[in-house]
This record gives sequence, C-alpha cells and structure tokens, in this order.
Amino acid sequence: MKDTDPDVELLARIGNNEPAAVNEMVTRKLPRLLALAGRILGDADEARDVAQESFLRIWRHAASWRSGEARFDTWLHRVALNLCHDRLRRRKERPLEDEEALALTDSALTPDEQLEAADRSARMAAALAALPERQREAIVLQYYQELSNIDAAALMNISVEALESLLSRARRQLRSQLADTPGLARPGRGKP
Amino acid sequence: MTPERFAYLADAYGADLHRWPRAEQPAAQALLDSGNVLAHEAQQQARWLDGQLDSHQLAYVDPSLARQIRLSAPRGHSFWSRYARWLSPAGLVGVGVAGIVTGMLVASLSVPLPMLSSEVLPSVFDQGDAQVIFTVNAEDTEQ
Repeated sequence: MKDTDPDVELLARIGNNEPAAVNEMVTRKLPRLLALAGRILGDADEARDVAQESFLRIWRHAASWRSGEARFDTWLHRVALNLCHDRLRRRKERPLEDEEALALTDSALTPDEQLEAADRSARMAAALAALPERQREAIVLQYYQELSNIDAAALMNISVEALESLLSRARRQLRSQLADTPGLARPGRGKP
Repeated sequence: MTPERFAYLADAYGADLHRWPRAEQPAAQALLDSGNVLAHEAQQQARWLDGQLDSHQLAYVDPSLARQIRLSAPRGHSFWSRYARWLSPAGLVGVGVAGIVTGMLVASLSVPLPMLSSEVLPSVFDQGDAQVIFTVNAEDTEQ
C-alpha cells in the first residue's frame, strides 16, 4: 500500500505564493518542530531558532518539491535534526532547567493541579535530558513525534533492530530514574 | 507471538499497540486477548512509563514566533512589485536625465542678455541668405 503524502498539495500552494497555505503550514508544522527541537536540545530559545531556520528551508524548497521521493514530514525532520546536531556540536550538552521548559498550562486544571503538572513535566524533562544523545533522539522520534520505526531508523541512519535497542535502553533508564523520584510510584510486576 | 517477544516490543515501543510495527500488531493483540499474564504485565509496566512521557509538555507555540515565520515566507507578487526590481534603477536614470536637462535650461537662461546680439543669433527679420534662396527658388519655378 502506497500512502500519499498529505503535505504535497499544501507545498504546491505555497509554491504559488498563497498566504493561506503559508498559514496552514505554520499551524501544521510549527508545534511539531518546536517539540522535536525542544526535546532534543532542551532549550526553548534554541528550539525557536531551529524552527525558524527549518521554515526558511521549507519556503525555499516548496515550489520545487517533487513527490515520490521522501515524505515531506520525514524530510523536514531530517532538516530539523541536522540543525539540532549542529547546535549540539557547538555547545556542551547541559540538562534542562525548569524555567527553560515551555510547559503547556491547562486552564481546566486548578492551580494546585497546574503546579503538580508543571512539576511532573519538569521531572520528565530532566530525565529526558539526562539520557545519552542517541537514546533521547530515538525516544523523541518514535514516541513524541510518532514516526514509524522505519522512518525513525532511517533518520538516525541505523537499522530497525538498532533503533529498538536504543529505545529499550532509553525506556529502562527513564524508568529507573523516575522510579527513584519521590512521589512517583511505579507499578510492580504482577499487579494488574 | 511469544510473551518474551511481546515484552521486548513493549519495552521498546510502549504500551500502545498503535505505536508498534504494523506487522506485529495483530499477533500482539491476539496474545493480549488470550489473557496471557506476562504480556499484560509487560504492557502495564510500559503504560506507566508512557504516562510519565506524556506528562512532558512542550506544545506551547508563541504567537509572535508564528507571525515572524509567516512573514519570512515569500509573498505573492503584485504588478508593481514584480517590476520593482528594474523599475527602480530605471527611475534613477530618468531622474538623472531630467536633472541634466534642467541644468542646461537654467544655464541657458542665465546667459547675460547683451550677448544676444545680431552677431550671435540670427534675427527672423534679417533678410540675408534666406532672401537670396527664396529668390532663386522662385526663378526655378517660373522656368
């Protein structure tokens, strides 16, 4: 079964300089790019820069985009990942700090619940930032960005088996780290 | 699918079978439906971590960033903007030429009047060579 690329028609409209298509592309891809770069880099400002640079590439390639080669979303992930790699090379990796995390505030929650949600998010961010770079990349691509295992492996230039190994190790380390956090109970084996 | 294989995949892809490789999903669902205890345990453990991963939210989008990005996109071209690139230098050349012409005009008007004598400029009342030419032409016509 051959899936059609859902972004191709939008790219053609951007190539024809349709402002509505530009708006739609920003709405569709900006949150994904910020999530990807934010979790890989652990820095909200750098994530914004990566998103902006990625969009410049989109505008540049939209008119000449040819369907049938790579899916646009996969190509975009590759662009953003390369930009993230450049930045990681340029700086020594450091863990996320609480104030850097752009936590989503859910107005439906009470203030206490919002505080608790922010606290859990910050703990998860710290655990994610503590992962080795390749393990973090694997989790971000497969879990958060919801890419297929084939696409995620291709983006990382590894086999699907190697991706699964990275994912297993990442999840094991996250479980171990989060289970040690006070207040986060982990279900034991054998409990329903 | 064996329970060990299920545990291996849950360990990698999490509790939600929709995130698993498509080819593995039916067999994994069948194992769960059969009530396999090991498979359910593995899924339970994976679900706990999925919940932790889901607690990490970064989906906030700054409206000013979205606006900046939209402005960075190429715009549609109007008639004038399409030709603006070469109209601009052409306009500069036109202004230059107009300046030169104006300068020449001002210079010619500023020449002192006494210089405009009959020796410098011929008068329309001066019947010199022109009268001779008209006379010759009239003689040719009569012939």
